[in-house]
Amino acid sequence: MKTLAKKDLAKVLNGWSRDYTVLCPNKKAHNEIMFDVFDEQRFTLDYTKPSMPPKSSFLPHSETVFMVDDNGYHPVIQETKTILFGIRACDMTGILQSKSFMTTDTDDVFYRSRWENTLTVVMACAGPQNETCFCTTTNSGPYARKGYDLQFYDVGESFLVEVGSETGSKLTIIEGFSDIDDSEALDKMHSFQQEADQSIERIPEFAQAMDRLANNGVSDDLWERFGNKCIVCGGCTFVCPTCTCFNVVDRQTADQEGERIRTWDACLYTGFTKEASGHNPRSSQGLRLKRRHEHKLRYFNDRDTHGALCTCVGCGRCSDYCPVHIGTIEVVKAIVKD
Amino acid sequence: MTNSINEVDDADLFFVTGTNTTTQHPLIGSRIINAVQNGAKLVLVDPREIQLAEFADIHLRQNIGTDVAVLNGIMNVIIEEDLYDREFVETRTEGFDELKCVVSRYTPRVVEQITGIRSNDLMEAARLYARSDKAMLLYAMGITQHTTGTDNVKSCANLAMLTGHVGRPSTGVNPLRGQNNVQGACDMGALPVVYTGYQKVIDSAVKDKFENAWCVEGLDDKPGLTITSMMDAAQKGALKALYVMGENPMMSDPDSTHIELALSNLDFLVVQDIFLTETAILADVVLPAASFAEKSGTYTNTERRVQISHKALDPPGQARADWEIIQDVCRLSGFPMDYTSAEDILKEINQVTPSYAGITLERIEKEFGLSWPCPNEDHPGTVYLHKDRFTKGLGTFLPCEFRPLAEVPDQEYDFILTTGRVYYQYHTGTMSRRVSLLEREAPEAMVEVNPEDARRLGIRNNDLVEMTSRRGSIKLKAEITQRVPKKVVFSTFHFKEAQVNLLTNPAHDPVAGIPEYKGCAVKIRRCA
Repeated sequence: MKTLAKKDLAKVLNGWSRDYTVLCPNKKAHNEIMFDVFDEQRFTLDYTKPSMPPKSSFLPHSETVFMVDDNGYHPVIQETKTILFGIRACDMTGILQSKSFMTTDTDDVFYRSRWENTLTVVMACAGPQNETCFCTTTNSGPYARKGYDLQFYDVGESFLVEVGSETGSKLTIIEGFSDIDDSEALDKMHSFQQEADQSIERIPEFAQAMDRLANNGVSDDLWERFGNKCIVCGGCTFVCPTCTCFNVVDRQTADQEGERIRTWDACLYTGFTKEASGHNPRSSQGLRLKRRHEHKLRYFNDRDTHGALCTCVGCGRCSDYCPVHIGTIEVVKAIVKD
Repeated sequence: MTNSINEVDDADLFFVTGTNTTTQHPLIGSRIINAVQNGAKLVLVDPREIQLAEFADIHLRQNIGTDVAVLNGIMNVIIEEDLYDREFVETRTEGFDELKCVVSRYTPRVVEQITGIRSNDLMEAARLYARSDKAMLLYAMGITQHTTGTDNVKSCANLAMLTGHVGRPSTGVNPLRGQNNVQGACDMGALPVVYTGYQKVIDSAVKDKFENAWCVEGLDDKPGLTITSMMDAAQKGALKALYVMGENPMMSDPDSTHIELALSNLDFLVVQDIFLTETAILADVVLPAASFAEKSGTYTNTERRVQISHKALDPPGQARADWEIIQDVCRLSGFPMDYTSAEDILKEINQVTPSYAGITLERIEKEFGLSWPCPNEDHPGTVYLHKDRFTKGLGTFLPCEFRPLAEVPDQEYDFILTTGRVYYQYHTGTMSRRVSLLEREAPEAMVEVNPEDARRLGIRNNDLVEMTSRRGSIKLKAEITQRVPKKVVFSTFHFKEAQVNLLTNPAHDPVAGIPEYKGCAVKIRRCA
């Protein structure tokens, strides 16, 4: 284990910035926090759950995947060396799950390249970041079990730093970090973990709801009730750390040139499942919501969960942002009550 | 809106008419849904079974174009059953006797004949609205886009005043604006009768003030023309030149054939837009404008909130911010303007517009915008209007008589066509039809047909139908749905491939000039 004094953190981030693009929490106008390129003036540790997960580092909202001209096709592979500093454990789990989904059966080379060039530094949560956090229910936080290159624990004037990989270890070869291997430090970390774990309320309905879904015990009526009020903004999928669906568009850029772009898409849109004939197997908004929630809570591959309960990682963002309260928390509670 | 958007959360009752809120103002629509799920009541008055119908305590599906009769009928019940707010009527209003006299003729039985709404339902809606404490009335184009648009709006105001449902938190009359800055455009005097902040052009003191501010003489003190009148004047040859900015009348104005004739009859047509629209194609000169992301300035939204917008990208090619283009046109025409930024213009707005006097760039940047009226820099802005007194003092009841649609169905043209928008496309599609994901969701024009009519006419879902009015004919696919009542069809004006405004009626409201997009007579048949 390592330790780093808080006062030396900016120096470290500056150091890393020489070889990497460092994305970290920055304070913007009206005190909004955004994960953005490290800027010493605006960098802050005073942040809770970022409003967006870090998935755009791997699957940007919109990206060109190849260009085409008279000489053929030219794939656009991004190899920018990046460090995500200060991400949360739920999002770390989300990254692992998405990476596994995006690169196992079919190797998405665009995604893989960004993954291979990105390092993760997790900031373990000392407690819930707001009232919708439920990572202890989904077994995906409040501290990361795997996947991280480094994990920071805020213990007052300094951080305890867990090294999770070879590359992570290399990151600590910079002025500021020092070794700390005494049992006192380990105890400190364990009690941090334990306190954090106990401070986040469990949602007992969650496992029950998964059981009901697995046994086809949820009425279509419940989904229709949610469907009736869904305004089809797709926001729940955009803020979800494990939603990775995209749409592909070709665009002409000049007379003899074009490009293929992919953009985020959402299974809640009608056209997402509409077939060429006009038939839509998910014919109502209720059925589309059912599909989305079943994908998180019922139909997932154990290979992709990375030790978490399912492919919902308990970040609670869908419950934070859905304008009509169709977040995972509301859905599982409704399933149990149904 | 007389209220602000946040006040939606605390209302006890919503009276929603002529707004498909969840598709056109989805964030306001979702707040209505949340409030209703937390116990608020919802009275919906709309011919179509829109998403909000699912949440309505009562849904009145009136015959199209009978809004004045519906509202008069509701007021009739409220007066008859003594449910009106006596104190408010006595202290805040005038003209009650005239109102009482007019609405007394609109008994529930008479209204049922005109509107098709059962008298019991009408009475229940009247009681719900009158008896609630905090009632918000919300409307949009379903109220205004009629030859009786002004009467419809007056009747909404009459109803709110009669019950004292205005001038308090979560209590008021709320027209929902359909674009990010249509409120701002009106506030800035993009209307034929006013300068900024609704200062009338016929008022000589106002004329003097603007002449002094701009160091000019002889500003025109006569009201100008509305769009519908301009097009008539152009077709007659009385209007010679037209400068169109950010508007696509070839697609958006009624009776497109007439619009094309009018525009081609002009000596000179200038179009300033971000894309080459159907109207820009006809222009003598096209001035490429910057999009919202490529310029700085402010927008004023539906709750009168002036908000800042910063430039994020450089405009492509020769495109420039609208104000820069206008400034150069003015310079070349011999009137020197030398603003250096949008902020300079805001400073002038502060000086000449009392309701915007305190809305400075510094303040709106710091405070997430400010809602007018905001008469000075210490004023906090106005969350809801008409507290304690109306702008003119007492509120005057302006009772209206019911008048039918300008074009009612007959034996040949036996359907009423009503038009609007869908969730995924925006207006004439200038922007939204260039977005592939939106095109996937709503790729083509559809006409909604009631299942019973469809059965009678042998039309199945997705069949191609021909829809014809006295002005034109289009072909488009049918969607068979209960959403529309019998003998009513609904379509949208987004698609140039099936331009619905070839069919619509250019007849317009005598005061506001707004056309009757919400009802004209058509016939439909299945294409062989």
